[in-house]
Parts: sequence; C-alpha cells; structure tokens
Amino acid sequence: MSTVETTQFDAIVVGSGISGGWAAKELTERGLKVLVLERGKPIRHGLDYKGEHMPPWELPYGGKPLRELYKEEYPIQSKVYAFNETTRHFFNNDKNNPYVYDPAKPFNWKRADVLGGRSLLWGRQVYRWSDLDFEANKQDGHGIDWPIRYKDIAPWYSHVEKFIGVSGEKLNLPHLPDGEFQKPMHMNVVERSVKQSIEQHYPGRVMTIGRTAVQTEPNNGRGACHYCGPCERGCSAGAYFSSLSSTLPAAEKTGNLTVRANSVVENLEFDPTSGKVSAVNVIDANTKERIRFSGNLVFLCASTVASTQILLNSTSEHFPDGLANRSGTLGRYLMDHTNEVGAFGVMPGFMDKYTVGNRPNGIYIPRFRNLKESSDSVDFVRGYGYQGGAMRMNWAQMHQQIKGFGARFKQALRAPGPWVVFLAGFGEHLPDKNSRMLLSKTERDRFGIPQVAFDSAFGANENRMRKEIQEQAAEMLKVAGARNILSFNANSSPGGAIHEMGTARMGDDPGQSVLNRWNQAHDVPNLFVTDGSCMTSSSCVNPSLTYMALTARAVDYAVTQLQAGAF
Amino acid sequence: MKRRELIHNLALITGAALSPSVVQATINGVDGRDIIKHSVFNETQRATCTVLAELIIPRTDTPGAIEAGVPHFIELMVSDWYTEIERRIFLDGLTTLDTYCQQQFGKVFLTCSEADQIAALTHMENLAEGYKSTAPATPMSKEVDEHVPFFGKIKELTVVGYYTSEIGAKQELIYQPMPMEYRDIEFRDVGRQWSN
Repeated sequence: MSTVETTQFDAIVVGSGISGGWAAKELTERGLKVLVLERGKPIRHGLDYKGEHMPPWELPYGGKPLRELYKEEYPIQSKVYAFNETTRHFFNNDKNNPYVYDPAKPFNWKRADVLGGRSLLWGRQVYRWSDLDFEANKQDGHGIDWPIRYKDIAPWYSHVEKFIGVSGEKLNLPHLPDGEFQKPMHMNVVERSVKQSIEQHYPGRVMTIGRTAVQTEPNNGRGACHYCGPCERGCSAGAYFSSLSSTLPAAEKTGNLTVRANSVVENLEFDPTSGKVSAVNVIDANTKERIRFSGNLVFLCASTVASTQILLNSTSEHFPDGLANRSGTLGRYLMDHTNEVGAFGVMPGFMDKYTVGNRPNGIYIPRFRNLKESSDSVDFVRGYGYQGGAMRMNWAQMHQQIKGFGARFKQALRAPGPWVVFLAGFGEHLPDKNSRMLLSKTERDRFGIPQVAFDSAFGANENRMRKEIQEQAAEMLKVAGARNILSFNANSSPGGAIHEMGTARMGDDPGQSVLNRWNQAHDVPNLFVTDGSCMTSSSCVNPSLTYMALTARAVDYAVTQLQAGAF
Repeated sequence: MKRRELIHNLALITGAALSPSVVQATINGVDGRDIIKHSVFNETQRATCTVLAELIIPRTDTPGAIEAGVPHFIELMVSDWYTEIERRIFLDGLTTLDTYCQQQFGKVFLTCSEADQIAALTHMENLAEGYKSTAPATPMSKEVDEHVPFFGKIKELTVVGYYTSEIGAKQELIYQPMPMEYRDIEFRDVGRQWSN
C-alpha cells in the first residue's frame, strides 16, 4: 500500500449527498477549486438510473423482494420503503459494511453507496424550522441552546428553495414558516374531505399538501414532475432535487470541481503548528491505495454518524478523543425522529371518484401540540406532525380480500378498491447525552477503520408522545368518517425515520459543543461540519432542508473568512 | 416432456386454442421474466398449476392467465423464490387437491371436468378459510407470512403474475407510465384501475 501525495485544493468536501452537493456548488461558485470525495461508486445522472420507468413485467420475480439475498447482504437497508430491485444498486451492502449494536437496542443505519448519496433516495419532504424549534432546548432545558435563530437561517432557506424547486402551499403559520413555493400538488377529493372534517373539529389544526422538493414547474434547467411515481429509482428529468441532478452539475459548470468516487476517508490530519486540518487521508475502495489530499478548507458532509466517525478516528496528541472534541460531546446527543406510529382506516363512499397520476407526495398535518399560545395538557414536551394520504386500494392490496376466483373475481379486481386514508406521525426526539455513537475498540471494517458502535434508544418522552400520536391519528380518522380504523405503534428504534441528527452539535459554548454558530469547529478554524451531525435538537419536521441552508450559510462565512486571510 | 407434447397436453387440458406464442410464453416465460433456475415441478404439477391459474383468472373479454404467462411465473416463484416452508405448503397443497379429486370424483385433478376442478379449488379455498396471518398489520411492514395456506399462495402468485405481466397490465388494466398530472377524475371515465 503506497501513500500518494496529491495536489492542493482550496477546499475538500467529504460526501456528495444533500449537504456535500450544496457545499460543492456554493464553494465552486465562489471561485474555489474544490475536491469532492465520495466513498460510494460513481454513477451518472440519468444514464445509471437503471430502474427508472422500468415496467412491472421487467422486474425480477414480479417485484417481490429477494428475501435470501436481502437477509444475507442487506438486512438493514432492505427495511427502507424505497429499497427494491429498482433501487438496490444505490444502497449500501450491509454485509460488506458492518457496524456494532446491541440487538436489544438496535440502530438502523440506512446508507447509500453511490455518488449523490441519499439525495437520490430521500423522501423529498422539505419544511422550514421555526423559532419554536430553535428555542426549544432553551425553553425546556433538554440539550443546550441553539446558537442561531430563525432570522439567521431564513434567507438561506430562500436561497436553497429557489434552487432546488419546492412545491407547496403557504399557510402563514409561525411554527411552520412559508417558503419560496412553486404551485402545490393536488389534494384529492377524499383528502379534501378529511381536511375539512379535521379543521372544523379541531380549531387550530391544519392539513395541507406536503411541501416537497419535487418541481411542479420547470426550473433551473430541470423539468416538472411527470407523476410516474417512484422518484427513488432516479429521475432523468431532474424533477426532484438530488445532488446528481442539481448541485453537482452546477458545481461542474464552474470548471472548479473535481469529484473522486470510491474514496473512503479514513481520518483528517491535524497540524498542531497551524492549529488547522492539514490533510484528508483517503483509502481507495477498489485498490486500497492510500492517498493524502490537502486543502485550505475542509467541509465534512459525509452524513450524521459518518462524519463523526471520521472525527473520532482522527486522533492526535492535541485531540486524543477525536478531532475537535475538546468538549467531550462528539458522538453524543444522537437523535432521529420517532415514527412508525399512526393509524389507517377505510373511507366509505367516493366510489365513483378516482385519481390519475402517481403523486410522489402526501398530505401534512403540522405540529399542533405545545405551541406557545396553546394550553395543552399532554404528558410530553415538544411535538409531532403527521404525513399521510388517501388513495384507492389497488389489485395488489385487494386480491386476498375478494373471495373466490374466476371471471367474477377478475371483474371485481378490474375496479380499484375502497379509499384508504392513513396518518403516520413523526415526533421530536429529545437530545440526550446517553444516546450516542462511538468507535468500536475491537471491530474494524474492510479498510481497517474502526467500526461505528451505537448505543441509542428512544426515551420516556418519545414513548409518551408515541402513545398520543397513535391515539390522535385514530381519533382524527374517526372524526373524518373513516371506518375499520386500525391504529399502530410499532416497536420503533432510532434510525428508523432516516432522520438521524446530532453527534457534533452546534453551540456557543466550546465546552459543551463541537461546532460554533457557523458550523465551524470551535477548536479547528478551517474545519466545517454541515450535515445532520451539527444539529442541536431534532424538531419534528424533516431536516434535510435545514442541512442545505446551514451548508450554504457556512460556505458564505468560510469563504469570506478565507478571503480575509483568516486561514 | 418435449415441447411438442407439452403444447398438445396443455391444449387438451385447458381446452384452449393455444397460439405458438402462448406456448412459448408458458415454457420460457414472457416479457422480461426470469429464467427458472431449478424447477421443482414435475409434468403433472406444471399442468395442474396451468389449469389452476386459468381457473383463477380465465380468459374473458381480455386474455387470461395462460396467455399472460402466469404458469411460468408460478413455476418460477415456487422453484426459485419460495422458502422451503412455502414450497412445502404449496406442493403439499397440490397433493391435497389431487387426493380430494380422487375421493370425490375418482380421478386426478387434471382429468376432472371443469365443474369438478372448480369444486376442488373451492374446497381448497374453504380449507384456507379462517387462517389468521401472523404478519404484523402496519402499512410500513414489509414482512411476508410464509405460512399462508395453499389457496392463498396460488391465488397470490396468479394475481401478481397476471397483473404485472404486459398483457395483464395493458389489456386488463390500464398502464399509464407517464400520466403528466395528478388530479381527481370520475372512475367511469377510465372504467378500470391503473396497473402501475
């Protein structure tokens, strides 16, 4: 194994997903020569979306899961709703990339293994955080105060939304701020009926169409949605936002971008003389060759957990417990959203109504608990929101419920089944010191890097909240007139919502946090971490939009500092 | 069994006029379907499943299961996709079916009249009645219940094979890969469900 020294870059971005793509775009557009390192395989926008528009008759085994293979090689990834034979090539192989957890306390670490990362596979729901979120820790004392407020990030939300293309409805709610929206997607007749019932029955509760990074109007050279449905197979029209369709091409256009896939970052080198990161050490995933890259700025955007794994594995005399970990908080306060809880039911009537198109979006009921002006008598702090929708059951869902066989059975399946309506909650996960990831002392991966070990579980507040999420979902469906309501509260564990956050939190106090208000490491001025690792609390809304806005904001600050000669 | 014999037997068994392309489909699979790696069917089981598939989804004003290549799909799934438990339940079910036909009609299933075949399949449906699935009932669950009785298995394989076939998707249902919009419509304006 040789070590190759390579050319100097102005900035090195680790990771090419949602956050890394944004760092690359913003840095290159400011004139910096940027190297993007991606541990996964290189793939091309459009050309390598081999599952895109694949008709059902071409799916292996009728689209059924390859159970033996999944159990053997993808036991974690195959739990993702988007995982199947049209998308498997985007996912991490669990067998080749093991990590450590107590089976009684599992953490489901869902990862992509391609250029563009999980931006190819994400759920695309985008919501702005509000001061209800940024002030939450300060208000109830869980975790430390965020070093920023809504006004600090609001212009960056706009900056991001205009580029990625977000469709949605303005609601003028202080706790779910409006953004730069394209025209909203359509809410179907049953959803409108449910909305009316809920809003009439519960003053202050609102149901809206999901705000989604799927375009309803052409924008920035990317097309509008053609409603084929399964975005996660890839969209060569670029209607949904991904790094491959959007930020990486923008960065490429500047002529300042170098992308290196199959590049596993082992650690960062710290130079005690300058007090800065001096190099990024990479192992080539194919050749196992070691390569050392240097740059003036380093943006860690490898995703929550992966970025912190790199920092924990970057030890030196100055930082024996991991780079930028003088506070001892690195790896701690790991959060997700608590989900897999809600209800579904059958909506009688509307049998003459149907829809055309596969809408890659659902409805959203914003948080209504523990808002400042309300006086809720609930037994938990913070809140939750619901995603959901209504649709007619299809042949795959109906066939076991129609008795018999033969011509009458076939005729019965020709029409869609009754309308089903469902609500699934996403609840805030409190920051907790004991919810953490660390490096295994004994287990190493195929590159010789210590494996990640998880020690995380939902706490009492999440469990109390889940109970109410389940009850309220069932109650709202009842109010809306649904029948045969079945509520559920699965044995959910962190990682399940794929909204993992924290482990390198932001804060004003270097003694209690890893990053400052600019996502800059308190202890290492040329190091920025802008993915989900930076999060100080978890809100209950989907986090990706906030990672993108924080990344763009951090780049603006870093480049200004660089140009002023700060590092 | 040679291909020519299979054609002959299938035509006899189903009473259907089989076009060469249909027979080709039954043997090799249609569309992009996978090739069977290790078939566990003998000739009788293959022919029985062919008849059962067509009984479940017969030709009406649109093609039935045989023309859509469902027999190949059933053989593929039972042979290469099923777990040991599922395969045993399925193959045992075929045995039960024949035993029932022998007892009731004095013949194996394949040589029974269509009315008796329907009665035998109805008997299998009655045997499955009341089965309670152990799979958790949440919309997120991806778990498959291996212990579903024979009737549920043959019905599911026939349905999945048929509606995911090009014929089932396009001729029986409506295949609309590029809808370009999402909106409310009246069901009577399309009259069938979308296959995708």
